[in-house]
Amino acid sequence: MSKQELLKKIAENVIQGRVVAEDEGFDEGYEGQPAVTELVEQALADKIDPKEIVLESLTGSMEEVGKKFDSGEYLIPDMLASAECVGAAMDILGPHLAGAGVESKGKFVLATVAGDLHDIGKNIVGIMLKGAGFEVQDLGNDVTTERIVAAVKESGAGYLGLSALLTTTMREMQTVIEALEKEGLREKTRVLIGGAPTSEDFAKDIGADAYCRDAFHAIDLLKEMPRQ
Amino acid sequence: MIIIGEKINATRKSVRSIIQERQEKALASLAKDQAEAGASYIDINVGTGRGSAADEIEAMKWAVAVVCNAVDKPLCIDSADPPVLEAGLSALEGRSAMINSTKADEKSLGEILPLAAGFGVPVVALAMDDKGIPETVDGRLKACRMIVEKAREKKIPMENLFFDPLVLPISTDARQGRVTLDTLAAVKEAFPEARTTMGLSNVSYGLPGRSALNAAFLQMAVYAGLDAVIMDPLDEVMMDAVRSGEALVGKDRHFRKYTRAFRKKAR
Repeated sequence: MSKQELLKKIAENVIQGRVVAEDEGFDEGYEGQPAVTELVEQALADKIDPKEIVLESLTGSMEEVGKKFDSGEYLIPDMLASAECVGAAMDILGPHLAGAGVESKGKFVLATVAGDLHDIGKNIVGIMLKGAGFEVQDLGNDVTTERIVAAVKESGAGYLGLSALLTTTMREMQTVIEALEKEGLREKTRVLIGGAPTSEDFAKDIGADAYCRDAFHAIDLLKEMPRQ
Repeated sequence: MIIIGEKINATRKSVRSIIQERQEKALASLAKDQAEAGASYIDINVGTGRGSAADEIEAMKWAVAVVCNAVDKPLCIDSADPPVLEAGLSALEGRSAMINSTKADEKSLGEILPLAAGFGVPVVALAMDDKGIPETVDGRLKACRMIVEKAREKKIPMENLFFDPLVLPISTDARQGRVTLDTLAAVKEAFPEARTTMGLSNVSYGLPGRSALNAAFLQMAVYAGLDAVIMDPLDEVMMDAVRSGEALVGKDRHFRKYTRAFRKKAR
């Protein structure tokens, strides 16, 4: 397989959501053929630049998946399968990317706020951000404001992503933003929020920098934001 | 789930005449319809109960050739009669297959296990002995143990044994549904590498609303560890039950089979 064919094959398999060879794809007839894991390993063995793999095969295909999800063609498990592919590829590529001197797009701290145990959406955002070139520190779910602020302070993260799935916990986001202000960190950190009960208006109301509808929206917004 | 398409069975009147009259087209379309509906194996049973053993051997050879020609699926050679099984297996010409079936008595095991070993094919192993179907889980498990012992002697790998816990009608003994399910779970625990199968429509015999009972029973069996099912793949209610059951117990990675079925229906 030529380099271009291989990069295309990886992209195709991300869209099909096939992590390993035995996986079925979104479409029929893929079982047994090499999938993202095998193909990425082959690409590395072929000495293809890991940065090129990320840009040519991962980022664009997740945008495609986002479109399919928005149009209703892809369902949640389909999107998760593709996100899992990007995660698997990044796990393989991670050490090589560091060696290749690929420039990070910035540090990103992610958390579901205190009292809230939901983390599926946040995890997808995490994978997508990694795929887009951010260094992601995922603090998990039900994370106290103190821990979030401490992590931002310690890592010097330029971005903070907050998630909440409950109307009772979304107000915690405001507490986090106030705590960042108190610590003098607010100016240095862009705060992006998301989760079912949140909205553009809510984001403005609590003083966040952006409301993200979903992981794909987050990536789009970040493209337009000045680097932190 | 491995779906073994049950439709080519000469105990059904329409199939009996297809076989007796050698209606090639009709047999081929029975195979094709099942393959298209999602059968992983096509069962072939030509036991008409009339005619001689030699007739049955000829019928099996013919049916295997016709089905091999019609579809690319593996076959399930179905007979209680070892020479018929051997005739079917010999007619495969490279197609993979399984044997349906042996039970736990010296005679069947002595004749059928060597075929499974010789042809290197899986075999359905019924949880019954020469005295019939045991009424209890212990009795059925004992039959399975005997089969395992004999299979080991013949160096048949465990994953080539498909244990059928057997299903008796609940209408005559309400405990039987549970006996089957508990046997299934017990087999899985005792022999984790072995696989399981069953034909389950017997469970609802003598009761109304059989389709709903069969579907519910199938889903319970999925939870208990069923790997294969002998059924009519054109029965949409049962196919839905397989897919939703496997989706619910996490056996359908990324829900591919479940969601794909919905896409096909929407088309």
